[in-house]
Amino acid sequence: MLKRFWSWFWFIVGATYFLVPLYATFDFSLRARRGEVSFVAYANVLNDIRFVESFWFSFQTALATIVISALVIVPTAYWVQLRLPRLRPVIEFFTLLPFVVPAVVLVFSLARTYSRTPLTDSREGLWVLLVGSYVILSFPYMYRAVDTGLRSINIHDLTEAAQSLGAGWFTILARVIFPNVYTALLSGAFITFAIVMGEFTIAALLAQPAFGPYMNLLASSKVYEPSALAIISFALTWAAIAAIQWIGQGSQARVAGPR
Amino acid sequence: MSTEPRDWRRSRRAFLRAAVGAGAGAILAACGQAAPAAPTAPAATTAPAATTAPATTAAPAQLPPPSAPGPLTARDAGGLEKLIELARAEGNLSTIALPDDWANYGEMKQKFLEKYPFIKHEDLNPDASSAQEIEAIKANAGSKGPQAPDVIDVGFTWGDIAKKEGLLQPYKVEKWDEIPDALKDPEGFWYADYYGVMAFEVNTQVVKNIPQDWSDLLKPEYKGQVALAGDPTGSGQAINAVWAAALGNGGSLDNPMPGLEFFKQLNEAGNLLPVVAKPATIAKGETPIALRWDYNVLANRDQNAGNIDIAVVVPKSGSLAGVYVQAISAYAPRPHAARLWMEFLYSDEGQLIWLKGYATPARFEAMRKAGLIPQDLLDKLPKTDAPVGFPTGSQINAAFDMIKSNWPTVVGATVQ
Amino acid sequence: MAPLTQTKTGQPVAPRRAFSWTWLGVAPFFLFVAAFLIWPTLSIIAQSFLDQERRLTLHNILELGRPFIVSSYVYSLQLSAVTAVGGGILGGLLAYAITIGGLPRPLRDAVLSFSGVASNFAGVPLAFAFIATLGQLGIVTQWLRSIGISLYPAFSLYSFWGLSIVYIYFQIPLMVLIMAPAFEGMRREWREAAESLGATPWHYWRYIGLPILLPSILGTMVLLFGNAFGAHATAFQLTGGGSQGNVVTILIGAQISSDALANPGLGNALALGMIVIMGICIGLYAWLQRLSARWLRS
Repeated sequence: MLKRFWSWFWFIVGATYFLVPLYATFDFSLRARRGEVSFVAYANVLNDIRFVESFWFSFQTALATIVISALVIVPTAYWVQLRLPRLRPVIEFFTLLPFVVPAVVLVFSLARTYSRTPLTDSREGLWVLLVGSYVILSFPYMYRAVDTGLRSINIHDLTEAAQSLGAGWFTILARVIFPNVYTALLSGAFITFAIVMGEFTIAALLAQPAFGPYMNLLASSKVYEPSALAIISFALTWAAIAAIQWIGQGSQARVAGPR
Repeated sequence: MSTEPRDWRRSRRAFLRAAVGAGAGAILAACGQAAPAAPTAPAATTAPAATTAPATTAAPAQLPPPSAPGPLTARDAGGLEKLIELARAEGNLSTIALPDDWANYGEMKQKFLEKYPFIKHEDLNPDASSAQEIEAIKANAGSKGPQAPDVIDVGFTWGDIAKKEGLLQPYKVEKWDEIPDALKDPEGFWYADYYGVMAFEVNTQVVKNIPQDWSDLLKPEYKGQVALAGDPTGSGQAINAVWAAALGNGGSLDNPMPGLEFFKQLNEAGNLLPVVAKPATIAKGETPIALRWDYNVLANRDQNAGNIDIAVVVPKSGSLAGVYVQAISAYAPRPHAARLWMEFLYSDEGQLIWLKGYATPARFEAMRKAGLIPQDLLDKLPKTDAPVGFPTGSQINAAFDMIKSNWPTVVGATVQ
Repeated sequence: MAPLTQTKTGQPVAPRRAFSWTWLGVAPFFLFVAAFLIWPTLSIIAQSFLDQERRLTLHNILELGRPFIVSSYVYSLQLSAVTAVGGGILGGLLAYAITIGGLPRPLRDAVLSFSGVASNFAGVPLAFAFIATLGQLGIVTQWLRSIGISLYPAFSLYSFWGLSIVYIYFQIPLMVLIMAPAFEGMRREWREAAESLGATPWHYWRYIGLPILLPSILGTMVLLFGNAFGAHATAFQLTGGGSQGNVVTILIGAQISSDALANPGLGNALALGMIVIMGICIGLYAWLQRLSARWLRS
């Protein structure tokens, strides 16, 4: 019972800390007209066609990023834990590098490196660079999430058991490992999704019609619309992540069975 | 979690191999960047005459040679109609660092696209700094995609720097002669577009007693209320604010140190906030006194008229004018669309759009004499008797350098 | 696929021939890093040693010794450490509460999905949200004033502690998201088995819970550290006006994305410094891992 009390206590403290600033933003966004509560800032945002277009564009980019990142990270984390633990610090160093490489350096360096390829001659080519950059940005979070998830299952026994039943590596990864790190993967996916939706510098400099540049367009010029947009994008991203969660939980139950 | 010793040794060896490889790669990369790469340099110097700069030590040795520059004037292109045709064939224009609410660029872009609907516009990073714009040209040299900027709008000194690095191509708009000589490059590589004066933006609902001068800002009633609009070691607007403060505190265009001293006092009095002032923070009242260009202040005032009361004050004892320049990238994938954009900016229509945004355009004097400016627009312009300094390129370089290097030690707090 | 043989203890051993296969497992990762991360990193390293005229020089590295730069690194390190530990502890408590702590399932789902969004709620919107809350005219500030407590000038949102409070807004969700699955991986049977053998909660955590969770906790705190260390936009909005201590990322911005003539060599050297610090951090973390594993096994 005591445990339950403390759980509720921390939850309420947390909820207060996280919701009050959101409320403050919401409160400010309603003041677009002097002396009255008004949703005109929201109307201005939602009426803009670019809002929907850019949100949808970033949504798709985010999904692509999540898929590629998962496909790269899960085998890597699995392999490091299984066979190459001495390589772990090296891998972790590279996954944490994106934190200390400034986004402008990243994007200009990529523009230079690929300037003689068709990747920099069209918006579609640039989209490849965009997704590549975002996958790199997602590495720290994806790797940590998957690594944590792998630690809570005994991959050595599972691998041995699967191999003794004649499974190849691909089968092991796809049908033994993936389902067991599903929850952890979902966590990584959520973070990656939010990152892609909010990222600005790389998208802006690669001329991509993403949500980040759109939000920034409003933030510097207007007063109340940015707050309205912050609330809307928060709500929408939350809804999108909840959708991913809901779909994810459903398929997890199907794949992994009861725990 | 045990693994065989064999794997450990293999991983260690492989790790060492990787580290050596990375180190060698880094050294090679460093050599490649430092030494002028032989094959491309001669090609650059034999490029058509427009790039007058001989291969200097800063020669973009690893930048590909730019394609032949476009026509120098509209007449060279075969007339404005021909230029429009060529631009139509290109179909796109990429601009960079043009926020909608800065000097009424929003309307400028909108009217341009209405006039030439065949142009698809790419609005690259509206928040880019001048350095980022130049870097964008360099990083995308040789690329044809929408991320390579065609035109740039940079701080005054960057025009010359970019020209020396061979990053620009010259173009003289039809009304070239009406741009004052001090504000353009004689060969046409860069040309001033507009300027504004540093002013106080005051939220009068929060600040009842409006400060009129620099010395007023030091008063205790303004504690925790004054803020800059950017980083005073990086943002042009913020650095100019410091320099303008110098003009009002005994300094001069050649001596910006009093400005730093002033901000040191402001900081010690507790009046200076480290927050970056934005329209939202001003409206909220958190930074009710912000130092910004007058055209930004007035645009904000107009946009929020009826809701927030903003006053614009040019400090009595002196302020500073900040000039920005336009240029076309030497690597512009759409050079004719770029020229069309320039023609529009310097047309009567374009210049008046800037004036509507309260930014004084380059052709202001000539247009005023010719009676091309509507009286109501003239009336709306703020009047001020305060002395305004117009710095030269070398003064800007020196002052920016001094402010930038001295801010952290004079004003900035060195923590612990 | 290479056939596997077994050692006497039954552990699968990859024969010498499978050496290449071992590396194939991590090949995709390194390919990606090579394609998208290596050149930017190498360019940072290379440009740190070049001056304005593109000649090799150590000047930029030496500049890093200037007092205000050193103090900036110290400030960044302190901020990152404080928010990593603080965010780690608070996030851990929240993760515990929603998993083992027995809160209803829908709440767990809501907290996790919310954390997804909040983990990246940073920069201008976050800065402004806190200005609107704890700024001089923020709603909490004004509410406290109305009940007689005056926050300012004793507290300032734009000070180190103010910035920390803002930073943990995205640190806590990160910890929650990564640790919640780890907590959920702790089977209830273990707890029950331990209790049936007479273990107190302390025993359970000391001998079972912590040993299992500590590597993940440490690893996630390193992640939080890196997250804070590399953060730029939030700190810039709140302290970029330059009269307080500045984090290193702002200094870098002033060199590589500036309106003033800057020294990109110095900017790159600053970034190189950050890379080195991250490397040291990883080293420390790996050492701590080994140490803690040994300690917990004893």
